[in-house]
Amino acid sequence: MEDNCEGCMELFSQDGVLLKQAHSYYIQYFNESGTLYITEYANTKDRFIEWKPNSVTVHSDSHDSEWSFVNAIYRGEQMSPQPPDSKPKYIKLDMNQVRSFKVSKKNDTMTFFDGKGEILCHFFFQHGNCFSLFAALKGLLKTTVSKRDKNIHIIVDETLQLNKSFATLDLFQDSQSASIVWGFVRSFQEKPVETAFGAFAKIGNTIGNNFMPSSSPQPIEEEVITNDVKEYERGVESSDGASPKDYEIIHSSPELPSRLQYPRGNPLSYDQWTALQDSEGRIEDVEYTKLHIFRGGIAPSLRKVVWKYMLDFYPWNSSNADRKTILGKKEQDYYDMKLQWKTLKPWQLQNFVQLRDRLSLVEKDVTRTDRTLPFYAGDNNKNLQAMSDILMTYVMHNFDLGYVQGMSDLLSPILYLLQNEVDAFWCFAGFMERVCTNFDADQAGMKTQLSNLYILLKFSNPTLASYLDNQESGNMFFCFRWLLVLFKREFELHDVFRLWEVVWTNHPCNNFHLLISIAILEKQQSEFIGEEMGFNEILKHVNDLSGKLDVNDILDNAEGLYYQIRESSQLTNEVRQILGLPLIAESSPKDDSTDSIENELMANVDKAYENGLHTSYF
Amino acid sequence: MSYAYLFKYIIIGDTGVGKSCLLLQFTDKRFQPVHDLTIGVEFGARMITIDGKQIKLQIWDTAGQEAFRSITRSYYRGAAGALLVYDITRRETFSHLTTWLEDARQHSNSNMVIMLIGNKSDLESRREVKKEEGEAFAREHGLVFMETSAKTAANVEEAFINTAKEIYEKIQEGVFDINNEANGIKIGPQHSPTNPSLPGAGGKDGSQGGGCC
Repeated sequence: MEDNCEGCMELFSQDGVLLKQAHSYYIQYFNESGTLYITEYANTKDRFIEWKPNSVTVHSDSHDSEWSFVNAIYRGEQMSPQPPDSKPKYIKLDMNQVRSFKVSKKNDTMTFFDGKGEILCHFFFQHGNCFSLFAALKGLLKTTVSKRDKNIHIIVDETLQLNKSFATLDLFQDSQSASIVWGFVRSFQEKPVETAFGAFAKIGNTIGNNFMPSSSPQPIEEEVITNDVKEYERGVESSDGASPKDYEIIHSSPELPSRLQYPRGNPLSYDQWTALQDSEGRIEDVEYTKLHIFRGGIAPSLRKVVWKYMLDFYPWNSSNADRKTILGKKEQDYYDMKLQWKTLKPWQLQNFVQLRDRLSLVEKDVTRTDRTLPFYAGDNNKNLQAMSDILMTYVMHNFDLGYVQGMSDLLSPILYLLQNEVDAFWCFAGFMERVCTNFDADQAGMKTQLSNLYILLKFSNPTLASYLDNQESGNMFFCFRWLLVLFKREFELHDVFRLWEVVWTNHPCNNFHLLISIAILEKQQSEFIGEEMGFNEILKHVNDLSGKLDVNDILDNAEGLYYQIRESSQLTNEVRQILGLPLIAESSPKDDSTDSIENELMANVDKAYENGLHTSYF
Repeated sequence: MSYAYLFKYIIIGDTGVGKSCLLLQFTDKRFQPVHDLTIGVEFGARMITIDGKQIKLQIWDTAGQEAFRSITRSYYRGAAGALLVYDITRRETFSHLTTWLEDARQHSNSNMVIMLIGNKSDLESRREVKKEEGEAFAREHGLVFMETSAKTAANVEEAFINTAKEIYEKIQEGVFDINNEANGIKIGPQHSPTNPSLPGAGGKDGSQGGGCC
């Protein structure tokens, strides 16, 4: 590595800085106090943001190993570094990775973003504020304020714009830019996939900066950018078959990158939740909130509150006053609908077989749902009555869907948690919006899910997929219960809460629950194959996993699997579609594929901006 | 425990007729009024003895709601016996038998033994389907018939064991190809080479070794 710590200069330092969020490798340091530095290396002029916890003393001359290590971790977001052998000692963030940063309204936190929807680091300044760091950054970087959020400062990377155009415009005259450019070329040759990914992300940023709604138009720059895009397209095309052999690796690697561990974070706490709201009670940064929940879930006592947002009971941007109005309206609507079926005369019901059948099925199933929980135990239990009323009212709410078995399993944990009929109804209805196709009369939704699961498995673990195929289990029917009620029967209640709220965040991709399924299945692979299990045995084995699964371990692996798939060089559109990744034109005429890459970039940029700059667009 | 044969059963019928309770009564000899409704399919297993031979019954209990019928169908394949259950206190569950039977006949092997069961015989006061009606239906469709009570255990043993006996007889008669697992019959691991009454037996070694189910 060019990094040499001799001549490392400290440009800035501040103590009393709490690490609030970073890559989960640093989870041990979350909420720990430490010192923040900006450093610069004399020979390369590379600058870094470093944070060292007070509990660890690291001499700044021993950076070599740490640097390559930290670098590997951040690259891990893009590619497949080797997992570290030991825990990191401190954070060292290459300033070139930072695309934007956000200062909180109170000026007591600063968040650094990578421009691709990931938070690099989030710091809290215990003593006073982040003014001095802000001033230092402004002194070192050229920034513009985001048009969408005045607290976000986007770094204008002039060298990047230059070096991306090097091939078409001979712009690099000073030696520093040239060295960056040739560094880029080298890394493209060594690691084409990784470099291309990074490059695309950066083009996205560049374009984003220039296409922001009210930024002043700069025709020359736009032209440069257009050329940049074309240049990268050429890079991609040339890697696409008849091309220099350096790039062939893109299509010759049959395996996924190695799996990284993504340990879970801390649950969203009451204090954090409060801090996320503005003075009128609106959640300011929805994506950040969801990311936090995705990583660590929600503190048990807070679930009651936050689930109402997750399940569309309250909009995230509702104020305290809005919510009062919404609650009133929802109560009224619920009781109106409840009255509709409660007041039917016996002869009406007699001649309304569809409703009568549903009523009787609901009655039957409510008495067969979680009765071992004290909350639902015993006869004449008012909670059973509430469950039954909610399900019947849901029939009136969505008569086409009505009631299908499995719904009571989805309602039970919600009612248990919220302990309020109206709240539970609307949250259940919000949940059903997400999963209603599971309950199609012809089971089309379930069949699609099972088939998508197989496609993902075949892509990520062809060995297991082909074994299952040979055992006539390629239809994945043995996962039916998992998917129908979203693992509700597989975990104890509090783990179900956790898993559901993670899935509801829609992070890091669509259909994350299918990756959860694969994370469970791959752990069974050795038993399936070792014991030569057939269709019957597999089904029974999977059924019997209920109550034996570790939710955190499974979520870690599912997230790791996601990154492996995303970074795979052979990612197909079929897989992209399932996970909600942008599609690329495959083996289509040259011009079309050019358009599609451009569209993809623009779509990503648009989406990132839609979501206030720091959503994930994968 | 080793077995001479393994028979695969499937229990079908409308939701709430007592399929899971019948299974639990047979495998655990208990009645559990409070249990979770079945999603997908669940399993039970028990060893019985017929003609001095140990026979393992592997029983699949399916979800009854119509919406799941298309998934349930895939479990018919490879079943040697089916228990088709209705609830004597709910006429509609009896009316739906024809549909169930058509489904079963269509998706199973033709030799599958089907036992018709009128469950909840303990609820005499709420009876809506006469025993004679059940008998007539069974006669008409060539089924074995029995009324049971999963609650009191009346006839539950008999229902499962009589079905097994019929399958066993069919094996003796050579009707079932026991080497074809698609018929829902498996020969126990150490029995295959030594059974003289079974020409052609022994081709397939039970891969699960009597362990899991």
